[in-house]
Amino acid sequence: MEAVTITLDGVEVSGYSGMTILDLARDSGVDIPTLCHDPHLNPTGACRLCLVEDDSSGALLASCVVPIRPGMVINTRSPRVIERRKVIVQFMLASHPDSCLVCDKGNRCQLRKLASEMGIGLLDFQRLPQSAAIQDVNPFIERDLSRCILCAKCIRADQELVVEGAIDYMDRGFTAKPATLGDVPLEESACTFCGTCVAMCPTGALMEKERSYHGTTTTTVDSICPFCGCGCSISLEVKDNKVVRVKPGTKSQVNRGTLCVRGSYGYDFVHSNERLTSPLIKVDGSFQEASWEQALGHISGEFKRIKEDHGASSLAILGSSKCTNEENYLLQRLARAVLGTNNIDNGSRLYNPATRFGLGQSIGFPSTTNTIDKIEDSEVIMVIGANPTASAPAVSYAIKRAVNHRNARLLLIDPRETGLAPFANLWLRPEVGTDVVLLNELCRVIIDEKLFDEEFVTRRTDNFEELVRSLKDNTPEYAQSITGISSEDIQLAAQLLAGAQRASIVYGNGITQHINGTDNVTALANLAMLNGNVGQRGGGIFALQRENNGLGACDMGTLPDFLPGYQSLDDDQVRKGFEEHWGVDLPAEAGLTAIEMIERAATGGVKGMLIVGENPVSGFPNPSAVRDALTSLDFLVTTDLFLTETAELATVVLPAASFAEKEGTFTNFEGRVQQIHKAVEPVGDSMPDWEIILQLASAMGQSMPYSTLQQVMTEIEDLVPLYQYLADADLKIEGLGRADLESERLRARRLFKGLFPSGFGRFSPVEYNQPVGQTDNGYPFTLVSGSILYQFGSGTRSLKASRLRRFWSESWLEINEDDAEYSGYGDGDVVRVISPIGEVTTTVRVTNALPKGLLFMPVSFPESPVNKLYGVNLDPRAKAPSFKPCAVRLERINPDG
Amino acid sequence: MAKVKKPTKAALKRINSIITRYSEQRWGLIPLLQEIQQVQGYIPPVVIPHIASAMRLFPSQVQGVITFYTQLYTEPQGKNVVRVCRGTACHVRGGKTILKLVKQELGVEEGETTSDYEYTLETVACIGVCALAPNIVINNSTHGHMNPKKVARLFEKEDGS
Repeated sequence: MEAVTITLDGVEVSGYSGMTILDLARDSGVDIPTLCHDPHLNPTGACRLCLVEDDSSGALLASCVVPIRPGMVINTRSPRVIERRKVIVQFMLASHPDSCLVCDKGNRCQLRKLASEMGIGLLDFQRLPQSAAIQDVNPFIERDLSRCILCAKCIRADQELVVEGAIDYMDRGFTAKPATLGDVPLEESACTFCGTCVAMCPTGALMEKERSYHGTTTTTVDSICPFCGCGCSISLEVKDNKVVRVKPGTKSQVNRGTLCVRGSYGYDFVHSNERLTSPLIKVDGSFQEASWEQALGHISGEFKRIKEDHGASSLAILGSSKCTNEENYLLQRLARAVLGTNNIDNGSRLYNPATRFGLGQSIGFPSTTNTIDKIEDSEVIMVIGANPTASAPAVSYAIKRAVNHRNARLLLIDPRETGLAPFANLWLRPEVGTDVVLLNELCRVIIDEKLFDEEFVTRRTDNFEELVRSLKDNTPEYAQSITGISSEDIQLAAQLLAGAQRASIVYGNGITQHINGTDNVTALANLAMLNGNVGQRGGGIFALQRENNGLGACDMGTLPDFLPGYQSLDDDQVRKGFEEHWGVDLPAEAGLTAIEMIERAATGGVKGMLIVGENPVSGFPNPSAVRDALTSLDFLVTTDLFLTETAELATVVLPAASFAEKEGTFTNFEGRVQQIHKAVEPVGDSMPDWEIILQLASAMGQSMPYSTLQQVMTEIEDLVPLYQYLADADLKIEGLGRADLESERLRARRLFKGLFPSGFGRFSPVEYNQPVGQTDNGYPFTLVSGSILYQFGSGTRSLKASRLRRFWSESWLEINEDDAEYSGYGDGDVVRVISPIGEVTTTVRVTNALPKGLLFMPVSFPESPVNKLYGVNLDPRAKAPSFKPCAVRLERINPDG
Repeated sequence: MAKVKKPTKAALKRINSIITRYSEQRWGLIPLLQEIQQVQGYIPPVVIPHIASAMRLFPSQVQGVITFYTQLYTEPQGKNVVRVCRGTACHVRGGKTILKLVKQELGVEEGETTSDYEYTLETVACIGVCALAPNIVINNSTHGHMNPKKVARLFEKEDGS
């Protein structure tokens, strides 16, 4: 980039070409006031407050939009500039209500701040009142457009960053305002209540509704959102030991100033009055409060007894894809070194292992191969089996930005009409569970038409001939008959994908949560390698993770078959390394996976369990069997924030601290390791899980040698290859900023150039097996379950967030219009959904987003638990249960009984 | 004031064929809107999402453009558009009273349409013939030197009564 030197307020400063005067001024520490500027938004020069004077021409320039030119002489504080700025603010105030005293924006109002800095007191202008407040009844956002200064930050946040298009200017002149289509309230519009506009609004025009504190806080703590796998940076505003507001973190590459409704308005579960505040021990069937000493003593006694009587393999630990890396690391050490068993797994078993196995065997790397910003560099983005609008909003924003602002083309493969459908250039709707056939056919077309990346395939992969041979028997007719997609469309999709230099493949639970999930992922890896889309700077494979630390928990070895960093248990050398470090012998035999633990508990093979921050009764398939299994345990301990359905079955329940009450790191779906920070003290007697684990280890007589979390981080850094450069101490390395370190850490996980970690990427042919859950006469509909935007996971935390709970409080069943008409169902009808395994009751929502014969139910409502309908059908390799297709029938429930 | 009727199926079909012609050509938004208005007399709000998806814009953006231009309407207009000038010269010479009289005569407020869809009343900032102030423009013809009598006669004549 070319250096450009200008004179700014009499001082020579240099920037690079393309920089605006404002950018350079801010870099040089010169303050220029702005109201409509935000680093995440394209500058528009709407507010005119950033005016500066060009000394040579005397022109007043809006510095946020004028690029620097060599030799410019700019004055940011000339009397003319100061005077003009003052007049502009005065005009704004003339149409602004005199309500500063009662306006909750208070000291955060940038208009008021500027007015007071400029010494503007009473106005001489005649006042022109503006339109008044709008009656939105949603629980999230409050609009008072009489305070709007038309800076368009909200409109630009909506259209440029979140790409939802819910609002734009309406009318002009005095009546101009940001409005929804038809000027309807937000809840009737396309608005998703992500809160990005609220965070950006410089005045009190857009405010958070139902805020717990109206004033301005002085303490803010940077952290990471605890919900989905995106890992958005958030900033927690704290008042009197309470988190009272959440705003998007400012410097994140992941969320770039945005959040979603969960991140912005879902935080108050932290202060729910249903939080556990003291250890509980069940005595005669009811819980009684106990001290930590009693509880831990009881646990260690029982665990020791079970180990002595039945052996270490009768104990099992289910760790948490929500807890920090450090906690998961300690937990697997507790299992292996203290209890002496590899029976340890984590909640991401429900959605992640297909990725680990499928990508592992193909590209030798178990997760996402590139960073989120590279999605935006793609020419073509293929989204398959994922609804990021609900499951990973920050990813959906990136995809929509790529399509709308960077001309990327979107290939959407999903039977449901998701929020991405309007952005798709080609949208294929395969039959549920037929992805392998579709992906194989895409590969076949690409090979047949010689569209594949020959150089990549020759130099960096092997087993290509085997793949070609396996696809020989595929025909367009066969693919069309199984998937229901015309061969022309498949051909178009293949050409679209293969025609791009940089293509991204984004997939989610619609791929992994099938009985053939591993095959699905393997087929995707074949496709990506065929096109040379792995291991380059643009594009890649993006495996979405449902939970904040699903990837981190696996990285930390909270797995029955791997030590931390996916180091093999079978490798004596590796095991010996850990044995030396921890000073104990480690069991060499692989342990039980999550589902196997439950099965083994039912048959008496597992006697004692520790469940940390997971709720299998609500999240696993066939909950009544899970309940029976856990009830039949000799001894169950849970640690959680709430008395969950699972915790109710436990003998001892330990109160854990939430994300806002502890330190640690989360690893997002990209593999980015990010720190969370303690904002408030743990509620009641609750403790962070890492402290609980340490205390439990000492109670068992085998204390672990850590006195601070830092020591745990350092050990992880030493022993886990993927986590070098992790510990905070490294931030002090001279000359390396935080951003550099972050990319350094990420690079360890990336496959930019050169060979794959395993030498060559390996094509693995996959065959199609008919999915389970086929419809037949008795059960004519196919049901899929999935996540929704306004709730999260099994709902343990999000249902305790008061506003999320109220907005969509109950489960529902989506049904295609024609099916509904044929069976005579209408919106709000109460139905029983019946599968061969179980039944649930819910209400009908008629939609045109589903094809005929397909039904959808959200997963997050324990009152109508959709998992009750699912039997346990495991992917043979990933050992993960199928959660997608399920054959069901419907029965109307007469409201009169 | 007139109640807005839903566009007929035939009208929607006509509009759709216009939209198809401009599909994915963002520069064509304004000509597209003008054409719909020419054929239909206004742009029915129900077609805004269709326009938006064909142009790959957001519906709110299309609405923004429509509401920005006074030449574009989202409600059916009267057969005759009456524009009363509120420019400075007309104001000085009693334009305000003329507007009041026209309102009385038609029984509608500014921006409204009579229930028989005969007249739509609008105001305009200046039409450039200040010498004839106060002025009224009906469709494409200008009526100068307006006074109460002339106003009454104007609408009698237009009514044909």
